[in-house]
Amino acid sequence: MTQKELQHLYWRAGFGWYPKNYNGFSKDRKQVVNSLFEDSQSITPIELDFSYFKGVDPNDIKKFPSLAKEIQRKSKKKILELNYTWVKKLIKPKELLRERMTLFWTNHFVCRDRNPLFSQQYNNTVRYYALGDFRAFVKAISKDAAMLRYLNGKQNRKRKPNENFARELMELFTLGEGHYTENDIKESARAFTGYNHNFLGEFRFWESQHDYGFKTFMDKTARFDGDDIIDEILSNKQCARFICGKVYSYFVNPKPNKTHIEAMANVFFKDYNIENLMRFVFMSDWFYAEENIGSKIKSPIEFLVGIANTVPVKFERDKDLLVIQRLLGQMLLDPPNVAGWKGDKAWIDANTIMIRLKLPSVLLNNALISLKEYGDFNDKFREEYFKRSKDKLPFKTSPDWDAFLKNFKTIETKKLSEVIIQGQINKGTAEYLKTLSKASKRDYCIQLMSLPEYQMC
Amino acid sequence: MDRRKFLKDSALASSLLFVPSFLKAFESVDATRLGYKRLVIVQLAGGNDGLNTIIPYNNDIYYNSRPRLAITKDIIKMTDDLGFHSSLAPLRSLFDNGELSILNNVGYPNPVRSHFRSMDIWQTASDSNQYLQSGWLGRYMDMYGKKPYNAIEMDEQLSLAMKGEHFNGIATNDYKVLYRTAKDPFFESVHNHYNDAHLNEHNLGYLYQTMIEAKSSAKYIYENTKVKLSQQDYPKNALAKQLKNVAQFINSNIDTKVFYTSLGGFDTHANQQDKQARLLSQYAESISSFVKDLKQNGTFKDTLILTFSEFGRRVKQNAANGTDHGAANNVFVIGKNLKQAGFYNNLASLKDLDSNGDLKYEIDFRTVYATILSKWLNANDEVVLNQNFKKLSFI
Repeated sequence: MTQKELQHLYWRAGFGWYPKNYNGFSKDRKQVVNSLFEDSQSITPIELDFSYFKGVDPNDIKKFPSLAKEIQRKSKKKILELNYTWVKKLIKPKELLRERMTLFWTNHFVCRDRNPLFSQQYNNTVRYYALGDFRAFVKAISKDAAMLRYLNGKQNRKRKPNENFARELMELFTLGEGHYTENDIKESARAFTGYNHNFLGEFRFWESQHDYGFKTFMDKTARFDGDDIIDEILSNKQCARFICGKVYSYFVNPKPNKTHIEAMANVFFKDYNIENLMRFVFMSDWFYAEENIGSKIKSPIEFLVGIANTVPVKFERDKDLLVIQRLLGQMLLDPPNVAGWKGDKAWIDANTIMIRLKLPSVLLNNALISLKEYGDFNDKFREEYFKRSKDKLPFKTSPDWDAFLKNFKTIETKKLSEVIIQGQINKGTAEYLKTLSKASKRDYCIQLMSLPEYQMC
Repeated sequence: MDRRKFLKDSALASSLLFVPSFLKAFESVDATRLGYKRLVIVQLAGGNDGLNTIIPYNNDIYYNSRPRLAITKDIIKMTDDLGFHSSLAPLRSLFDNGELSILNNVGYPNPVRSHFRSMDIWQTASDSNQYLQSGWLGRYMDMYGKKPYNAIEMDEQLSLAMKGEHFNGIATNDYKVLYRTAKDPFFESVHNHYNDAHLNEHNLGYLYQTMIEAKSSAKYIYENTKVKLSQQDYPKNALAKQLKNVAQFINSNIDTKVFYTSLGGFDTHANQQDKQARLLSQYAESISSFVKDLKQNGTFKDTLILTFSEFGRRVKQNAANGTDHGAANNVFVIGKNLKQAGFYNNLASLKDLDSNGDLKYEIDFRTVYATILSKWLNANDEVVLNQNFKKLSFI
């Protein structure tokens, strides 16, 4: 593998690449890809302390409003803690690919729950199945407490079916619009009746609420239950195609390529094994094609985690992480709706582009982007000025530039652009970069991170 | 002499020297500016309790449903049935002048009681089981907007309402900061060197274009906003600050069709009374100052203000002296020369509630949007809303 290919793989299967981990790497594609999967065999769930919640008797919450309030207050804090914990987990994960897949699937099986225990449980369910059996994955999702709440599954009862989950299951999670009828929704909703959960978020099946009658779904009539419906859906190759289309636009290129997606669907339809599908993608020659490299606009999380991967940075206040996510338009655990974040160009508007261009210098360099084309007095003056204004910065961070310099020791400063920037650089901008002084690796890194090109991966 | 004053003075000097060109400039201003209609949105986030805002003070069910929460004191009686919460006193003169229209029972079929989802529905103008990824104002701007500054939100983050399929408005709670950021000399250099050949179609081209647009928008807003224009005093609260900025923009005649403002905190599940009274007076005082400011500058007649909340609240109060999430609610429309001012319609029955015990909707909120789009903004509402909604007669 060339360095460029390695970087591409690590930007897509992870959150960027830095040269320190290059030395130990094999250049054989198969070995590199294998090691990605090996490292992600294990699962490290997020496990926050929920003792405040688990010891509580749910009946007491109803009886004592003050207790309810107390729990609500603690839960509000906990959900933020869950957000920070997740973001930090993404920065240096043990199971890189698994975390990347988890992030992908949470924007596929989109769910939002303000109960932090359920939200954590959901997050861990997704993490558990992220590289596993898609069939078991969908079934687990259909029984998960957070999802049962989010799409009204727990209100779906024999006498009063609620179609919300059944509709999204087909429209957003498995088949895509236009591959089912309104009647399929009605009938399948009946199959999911009786699903519920207890106070701790464990699945409970209420037999008395379940509709055991015959349902006619996709031209077949039987006493379907929820799992049967999912099996029926997956027996349609359209489901494999739909998922592969999403995987392709997320991991390969936002512009779909029908031939490649069909090839993926052929692999996926065999056994719905996610690991096999991803291995096929990362092993394909077309994955490394020029047109795919640097073709994607980074999501806010990719952008933020990518910065922190290149220049290790400590956030002194957790809430800064939250503010940054909000400003950039992607707060984890808080998707806009069940369709998730639209991604790609939708990340970028006049506000977010300016914030993105400015953020690296704010987080890493007191907001200063050097202009050392002349190396003159003006720049010294600005540097002093920016140092003094440190207290006024919106975020409190401690960047570890020593670690950066150590990690990037083997990269010549003038070649830094090849590592920091994926894909092509605008001609005019490339000319401009030539005029900049390369005396400081740190300054040059900041300059590169402050370019529109840095938004791509 | 500061730069602006210099520009102003030199413009004046040149206009005196070259009278014909001055007149010509004046003509073009006339053509584009006269009748330039603007829309200001005020979002009351959290679900304002409409029943304690516009109070059915002669209705026994109201008092029986809210033994400790019903308003009994200082109601400003407007009709035989309905009165204002005392905090709305500053709006009384608007009501009396025919500059305020109150639409009761506005909502949508199969109401959703999640803040989040219902706000989404209001902002995207979707059905309750439909998920749209663009907002109604954004889609309007898709057709009629050219520059991001044609739609400004007074916040750090752009609401879904202001995002179209292609168009995105500007969000800024401080346009000066935006301007200063955009002016970073490094970005200037990148901008000056940018070579746009062959890039327009790609994502990277889009990034550069957005950057350039952001810079020029920030510059446009900064250079065209006249700071010392307003003589009007505003109260000190978050909404007043936003509206004061909006007035500054409008009175400076900047080329913006839609402004988006918001006031939060209306989710009053517990101890509602004081909280809501405080918020309503913040709202009413801010609006009152805003309208005065516009009137002083002759811009009120071309401005329409729409106030909404994502839902109303349950008719019955809860045990914590608050109210839970409800459904239909009132909407305020403020402007000059309203066709139907005052109460547009009666309050829905408090007897005939939906199965949750909430008010039933009578006016689909999208008919309000359709009316504003077609009658005020002169836009094709059917394309923007993807459906043909009935038009109402408040404007």
